[in-house]
Amino acid sequence: MLDLDVFLQQLITGLSNGMIIALIAIGYTMVYGIIELINFAHGDVFMLGAFLALTLVGALGIEAWGPSGQVAGVAVLLVGSALFCGSLNWSLDRCAYRSLRKSSKLSLLVSAIGCSFICMNLGLFWGGVPMEVFAGGNAAAAPKDFPALIPQVNLLGDGFLRITPADLLVWAVTIPLMIGLTIMVKRTRLGRAMRAVAQDPVAASLMGIPVDRVIGATFFIGGALGGFASVVYSLYNNTIGFQMGTRAGMDAFTAAVLGGIGSLPGAVLGGLTIGCVRAMSDQYLELRWTNTIVFCILVLILIFRPNGLLGATRREKV
Amino acid sequence: MKIGYLAIPVAVVCGSLMTAGQVAQAPVGTLKIVSSLPRTGSANAQTNTIVNGIRLAIDECGGQIDGWKIEYQDMDDASPQRGNWDPTVEAQNANSAAKDKSCVAYIGTFNSGAAKVAMPILNRAGLVMVSPANTYPGLTKPGQGEANEPAVYRPTGKVNYFRIVPTDDLQGVYAANWAKELGVTKVFILNDRELYGKGISGVFRKQAEKLGIEIVGFEEIDSKAANYRSLVTKVKAKNPDLVYFAGTTQTNGGQIGKDLRSGGFEGMYMVPDGCFERAFIEAGGAENLNGRTYVTFGGLPPEKLTGKGAEFCSSYRSKFGADPEAYAVYGYEAARVILAGIANAKTKDRAGILAAVAATTDFDGVLGKWSFDADGDTSSQVMSGQIVRGGEFEFVKVLGK
Amino acid sequence: MRWRPGPIFIILALATCIPLLDQILPVELQLSEAVRGVFLYAILALGLNVVTGYAGLLNLGIAAFMAIGAYTFGILTCEIYPFQLGFWSALGLTIPIGALAGFILGAPTLGLRGDYLAIVTLGFGEIVQDVLKNLDVVTKGTQGINPLPAPTFGGHEWTADDEYKWYYLLLALLVVTVIAIRNLERSRLGRAWFSIREDEIASRSMGIRVERIKMIAFATAAAIAAMAGGLSASILSSTGEPSNYDFQISILALCIVIVGGIGSIAGVLVGALVMVGLNSIVLVKATAWMAAHGIGSQGNVLLSPNNWKFLIFGLALVLAVRLKPSGLVPPRIERAPQ
Repeated sequence: MLDLDVFLQQLITGLSNGMIIALIAIGYTMVYGIIELINFAHGDVFMLGAFLALTLVGALGIEAWGPSGQVAGVAVLLVGSALFCGSLNWSLDRCAYRSLRKSSKLSLLVSAIGCSFICMNLGLFWGGVPMEVFAGGNAAAAPKDFPALIPQVNLLGDGFLRITPADLLVWAVTIPLMIGLTIMVKRTRLGRAMRAVAQDPVAASLMGIPVDRVIGATFFIGGALGGFASVVYSLYNNTIGFQMGTRAGMDAFTAAVLGGIGSLPGAVLGGLTIGCVRAMSDQYLELRWTNTIVFCILVLILIFRPNGLLGATRREKV
Repeated sequence: MKIGYLAIPVAVVCGSLMTAGQVAQAPVGTLKIVSSLPRTGSANAQTNTIVNGIRLAIDECGGQIDGWKIEYQDMDDASPQRGNWDPTVEAQNANSAAKDKSCVAYIGTFNSGAAKVAMPILNRAGLVMVSPANTYPGLTKPGQGEANEPAVYRPTGKVNYFRIVPTDDLQGVYAANWAKELGVTKVFILNDRELYGKGISGVFRKQAEKLGIEIVGFEEIDSKAANYRSLVTKVKAKNPDLVYFAGTTQTNGGQIGKDLRSGGFEGMYMVPDGCFERAFIEAGGAENLNGRTYVTFGGLPPEKLTGKGAEFCSSYRSKFGADPEAYAVYGYEAARVILAGIANAKTKDRAGILAAVAATTDFDGVLGKWSFDADGDTSSQVMSGQIVRGGEFEFVKVLGK
Repeated sequence: MRWRPGPIFIILALATCIPLLDQILPVELQLSEAVRGVFLYAILALGLNVVTGYAGLLNLGIAAFMAIGAYTFGILTCEIYPFQLGFWSALGLTIPIGALAGFILGAPTLGLRGDYLAIVTLGFGEIVQDVLKNLDVVTKGTQGINPLPAPTFGGHEWTADDEYKWYYLLLALLVVTVIAIRNLERSRLGRAWFSIREDEIASRSMGIRVERIKMIAFATAAAIAAMAGGLSASILSSTGEPSNYDFQISILALCIVIVGGIGSIAGVLVGALVMVGLNSIVLVKATAWMAAHGIGSQGNVLLSPNNWKFLIFGLALVLAVRLKPSGLVPPRIERAPQ
C-alpha cells in the first residue's frame, strides 16, 4: 500500500513540476519556431517575473487579504507578471534581436546570452530593494521566501498521499493556458500569421503579413507565458532567487527539444516527461544521478526520433 | 541605513585625527591586508558580512598600528562568467598578493577548494593566510584527507595557513552527539556534494553509526534544483526522526527545510554552520523552520558573547545598522588576529608577522579564548547548538568543550 | 585565402613584450598573469571554432572536454595515482583521450540536425560534471586532484614563481595551435568542413562523407579543448572541482568565437582578448582601483562595483554583436547568404 502511495505521490510531484517546466518551454518553442533562436534570456525574464510578483505581494499587502482575497491576489499577480514579462520579452526583441534578423543565427544567440546576463544582474539589484518582502534588501543575492498564498496543506486528510491546493493551482493555471494557446495558434488570424512567418518569412511578408509585428507578438505571448509560469513556480516552490532562471531555462529548453522544438504539444509532453523522469529517478535511483539520467534519456530519444517526440520530420531543401 | 553612511566618514575622520594626534610624523610605511572572497554571484550575501567584519576590525585600530598605516583591499575571487569562485582568479589574487611587497596578510578563502589553489602560492611567498570560513580538514590535519595532505599545501615545509573555524570533523561529531541527545533513533542524511557538505556528512554518518543511530537513507542532492518534493516523499517513506542536511544556504538548505514542511514531514531538521545566517531563515520561511530546525555553529552565537564579543556586537550594529551574522564574526576575528600579529611582530615584515600570528596563544577573541596549534588550527572547540524559534536563532546549549 | 600576416604578427609582437613590461610596472598594472588566461581561453575557443565555425555544428558543451582533459592530466600525473607520468607525456595523452571522448559523444548523435545536436552537447556537459562529481572513488569528487606537476626543463621543475616561463609556454602552444588549425583550414579536410557548413546535401552529392567529416571536426575540437584543460590544471596545480568546467565556460568560449568572428582564427584571438580581457583584466583592475580609492559602498547593492559585473559583461555581448554582427574580425570567406 505504501509502495503504491509513494509511486502516486511521485507521479503527482512529477506532473506538477513538469507542468511548470512545460509552461516555460512553450516560450522557448514559440520563439524558436518562428525565428530559430534559442532565447537564452527567457529563463531570466521568467526570473524577473517572479521578482515582480513578490514585489506586488509586498506593495499591495496581499498576505493580509484573507483566504478568499488571496485567491484574487493570485489572479492579480498572474496578470501583472504576464503583462510585465510579455512586455519585457517584446522589448528585448525590439532592442537586441530585431536589428540582427539578417545576420547569422549565432550572433542572435550571443545577443540573447548577453540579455540573459543583463536580466540576471537586474534581478540581483531587485533583490536589494529595501522592502519588507525582500527582508529589507540586506542580502540582495540571497534566496527570497515567497509567501504561501496558496496553502500547502493536504486536501486528502492525514494519509501519506498528499495533494495540496498548490498542486491544483499549477494544473488550474497551466492546462487552460495550453488549451487556449493551441486554439489561438490554430484558429485566429494572428495564429495563422505566426505559422506563416515560421514557414517562410519572405513569402509571408509578400502576402502582406507584417512580419516584425508578428514576431514581436510571438515574443510577447512567449514572455507572458513565462510570466504565468513565474507566479505558479513561486507559489509552488515558495522561494525565488536571481539565479533561478538558469536552471529553469535549461530544463525548459531541454523539454522543448525533447518534445520537438517548434511544437506546442511537444513542449508540454517534453515538460511532463522530464518532470516525471526526475521524480521517478529521485525515488527509485539516487538523486545525484537524476540529471545524468534525464540527459541520457534525452539522447536516447533523439537517436531514435531525431526531431523530438512530436516534431515534424522536416525535409531539408536542396 | 543613514547611520551606516554617516558612520564611515566619521570613523575615517576620527581615525586620521587619532593618527595625527598620536604620531606627529608621517606613517613609517604601509602594511596591506587583502581578502580574497567570492564577491560576484550567489555567495555575495555571506561575503558582504565577512568584509564588514574585517573593515570594522581595521577601523577599530584606527587604521594604523605603531605608526604603520594599515591598508585593506577587498579582492573578488569569483568571475562574472562563473558567478562563483573561479580557480584562475583565485590564483591570480594569490599571485598578485605574493608579488605586492607591501602586502603582509591574506584573509581567505571562503571555499575550501579555492584555498587549495591559493595555499601553495602564498606558502612560497611566506605570506600569512587566515581563513574565516574553510572547514575541510585536509587543509591542515594530517590523516584527515588524502595521504599527501596537508604537506602539498606547504612546499616550504612551514605553516603559513591558519583558520579560526573548527573543522568539519569536529562539527560532524558534535552534531551527531546532539542528535542522539535529542532522542533521534533514525536519521536521513543529505549533502550538497560540495567539499564542505560531503566532508561533514561523512563524519556525521560515522559518528551516528557509532552511537547506534539507524541511518535510513543517504542522498547527495542537486543543489540547483527548484524543489525537493520527490526527495521529501522518499524521506517520508523511510520515516526518520531527523533529516540532517550537510550544506549551506547557497546550496538550498532553506528550500529543503521548506519542502520538508510542505511535503508533510513532521520530524526534526538539522543543519551545520553553513546555514547559520539570517538568509537561511529568510529562504526557508520562519513558519516552516520554527521549533523543528536545529543549527550547529563553531563558537558562540553573537548575542551570547560577553566581553570582547559583546562590544563587537554593539559596534557592528551601530556601524552597519544590522545585527552581526556568524560570518561577520569570523571575518572580524580573522582580521583581529592578524592585526594583533602585526602589533606583536618584532619586525613589521612578512616573516615577522607570520611568526607573530603563528605564536598566537590565549587570544582574547570574539569566539572566546583560543590559540593556534602547530597545524594552524584553532584550539577553540566550543560549538553551540541553536534552534529556530519565532523566526530567530535561539541558543540552546554549548556542544563542545 | 591569401596569407596576410599583418594583425597576427602585431598581436604576437605585443604579446611577447608584456612580461618585459611587467618588470618595470607596479603590481597593480602587471598584466602577464591575466593575459595567460586570455591565451588559455583562446586555445579553448580555437577548438570550438573548428566544430562551430568551420563545420557549423553548434556545440554548447565544450567545457566538458576541458574537464576531461584536466582530470585526465590530473589522474595521469598526481602522486596519489599509480601512473605518475611527467608533464609532457600526460599533456600529450590528453589530446587523444579528448578526441576519443569527442568521438564517443559524436558517434551516435551526429545525425541530429542543428539545435538538436546543440542540446545533446549541452546535456553532455552536464553529464560529465555529474559523473566527475559522483565517481569520487576515481576523481576525488569535489575535492579536486592536486598537486599536479609543471613542465620540467633540465631537471628543474617550474613553480608558480616561474610565471614568465609559463607565459611563454602558453604563448608558444597557442602559436602551435594556430599554425595547426591554419593548416587544417586550408587542407582538403578544411574545405570539406566549409562545404558541409554551407550545404550538407550538396556536399554529400559531391562525394564528401559528411558523417565522417563531422566526426573529425568534433574530435579535433574535443582534443584541443582537452589540451587546454590539461594546461589549466597544470598551471593551477589542481584540477579544481568539476563545477569549474560548467555551462558558463562553454558559453564564454562560444561568445569568444562569435564576438571575435566565427570561422576566423584572428577573430577568435581578438575575441578572447576582448571577452576574457574585459572579465579578468578590465573589470578586475577597475573594481580593485575603485576599492582602493574608497569608491562604492558595501551597504547599497547598487553602489558596490562587483554587483555590476554581470550587467557589463552582458551589455558588452549585446553591443558587440549589434555593432559587428559578423564579428570583430570576420573571416575572409563570407558565408553564403541564408
